Amino acid sequence: MSQQVRDTILRKLDTFQEMPTLPVSLVPLLRYMEKPMEQMELQQIVDLVSKDKALAAQCLHMANSPLFGRRQAAQTIRDAVVALGFQRMRDVVVSCSVLSLSPSDNHGVDPTVFWEHSLGCALVCRQFASGIGFEDPGKAYLCGLLHDIGIIAHLWIAPREFCSAVEHARKDGSPLHEMELNSMGIHHAETGKLVSARWKFSDDVIEVAACHHDPSSASAHRSLVALVSLSDMLCRMSGLGHGITESRQIDLLEEPGFALLSQECPNLKNFDWAKFTFQLEGYMEEVHRLVSLLYRPQ
Amino acid sequence: MTVLSATSRAVESFAAPDPFMVRIRDLIYQVAGIFHADNKLRALEERCMRRMQVLAIKTYRDYYDCLTVKSIRQAELVALLNEITIGETCFFRNQPQIDGIRNIVLPKILEQRAKLSLRHLRIWSAGCSTGEEPYTLCMIMLEETATRLKGWTFEILATDLNERSLNHAKNGVYNAYSTRNLPALFREKYFAANGNDLQIDRNVKNYVNFSRLNLTDETKMLFMKGLDMILCCNVLIYFDGASKKRVIQHFYNGLLPHGYLFLGHSESLYGVSEDFRLVHMPSSTAYVKGKRNV
Ligand SMILES: C[S@@+](CC[C@H](N)C(=O)[O-])C[C@H]1O[C@@H](n2cnc3c(N)ncnc32)[C@H](O)[C@@H]1O
Ligand SMILES: [Fe+2]
Ligand SMILES: [Fe+2]
Repeated sequence: MSQQVRDTILRKLDTFQEMPTLPVSLVPLLRYMEKPMEQMELQQIVDLVSKDKALAAQCLHMANSPLFGRRQAAQTIRDAVVALGFQRMRDVVVSCSVLSLSPSDNHGVDPTVFWEHSLGCALVCRQFASGIGFEDPGKAYLCGLLHDIGIIAHLWIAPREFCSAVEHARKDGSPLHEMELNSMGIHHAETGKLVSARWKFSDDVIEVAACHHDPSSASAHRSLVALVSLSDMLCRMSGLGHGITESRQIDLLEEPGFALLSQECPNLKNFDWAKFTFQLEGYMEEVHRLVSLLYRPQ
Repeated sequence: MTVLSATSRAVESFAAPDPFMVRIRDLIYQVAGIFHADNKLRALEERCMRRMQVLAIKTYRDYYDCLTVKSIRQAELVALLNEITIGETCFFRNQPQIDGIRNIVLPKILEQRAKLSLRHLRIWSAGCSTGEEPYTLCMIMLEETATRLKGWTFEILATDLNERSLNHAKNGVYNAYSTRNLPALFREKYFAANGNDLQIDRNVKNYVNFSRLNLTDETKMLFMKGLDMILCCNVLIYFDGASKKRVIQHFYNGLLPHGYLFLGHSESLYGVSEDFRLVHMPSSTAYVKGKRNV
């Protein structure tokens, strides 16, 4: 049974049947945003975002959220870019664009919980990265945002099977990827690897999508994968876990991701996990508010 | 651009915190170990406001100075901490913590305890105030007697410094405010009406042993031994760094090798003790005594 589901999913992925194409606004944006910062021109970003009115309005919502550090409301995209700087604005724009990738037909599972998890994880990744002196917090944000892209693919190509896996996980209090594997013969990390490659995401994003539930299988971007994996776990333990409450106890310092990340970030030894956890709980409400405000199914 | 003006209205109520408020928050965390996350910052602001009114101070910046550089800083810090910690308590104060104890910690402890072949649990509520916390624990344990705790016995030790609170606890009569989080199931099963108040059941009372104990009393602390769980919630905020360290050391010694220590919501042992391991459970954290496997 699960083998059948797996085969169907793989076949659909191979032909990319039933999958959305990337939103037109996102393609040039992702590409453009990948370039080094110096090349970025204020006017170009403003133009790019402003072309899409709905996207522009969403970006303003997000840019004005305290999650992105604003104290006074920006009225225009230009204000927002000036106030937040390029990197934060890239985070905002990519987040809003990616949000439109959800299917509208939800088969009984509210897709906003997946975006809450992704946005929450992105924010946690960035904050965590800054906290331990990780080289590129912006990259950490992007990888956090896209790490569960396989879930979005499941929502498109195997919605009924996927939603029943979610229901099981909720009832059992067990991790989603384990339930997926049980009932569908494939979990969202494997799917995520295939879709993100198909969409030509950068190598680091692909590896994070593929390995975040098994960081020791990562090769080229080990510490990035480890960082996202730990952040993902923190989100799942803090009420940002796809509406699933995993009934277990976790010692982050015993997680494989911790050992991997410590090799690169010696500061990790002195990291105040308790404070970080409380901080993250503090912005959850705002993540909920923001996602419900922004969410627009295709 | 109607969309955009709607946007700016929506954000007004959600401004990022004042930078000096953030500094005050960090200061409180540093001295008292309790962290006010962004969504709790309003509450901290209100507490500061109260003090600022007393001192006739207008800005957070000036108030931050009172807490850090002015000669009154020590006294003011105590005054603010008193505002923050007003001896409040209630039944089911921290639901995720209670769920974690019941569904995750209890099975783990039973497994370890069974190896010691004494089917008895000892739980300590340190700083129990008027008794809501130990009674909550007791009801949770009673709920498990037919299932997980079948064939087991347990006792709950509940201590506080304050004699009046302890008398209230022993009396076991609670008003609507302190029972506001009490689930209907528990209200019906373990309470009787007493005028407008609720009286806790005699059977629950019998499991809880109240006594007066100052947590800084070195001698008496030595007697608190053989424990499976210690709850010390919203108490350590009153202690300075050195005495906090001593109290935690006593807790460590008093716990069995598999023992757990629980603190209040948003309280942390960072910089206080490295003996305990921090663990995460759904929406709550705890400290365990056992060594890491790595
Ligand atoms: C805010 S209450 C906490 C009640 C309960 N644990 C809860 O979290 O709801 C704090 C209690 O700590 C007690 N306390 C403060 N200092 C103490 C000390 N040195 N020894 C014992 N208890 C103390 C106070 O008397 C007060 O009842
Ligand atoms: Fe995942
Ligand atoms: Fe995830």
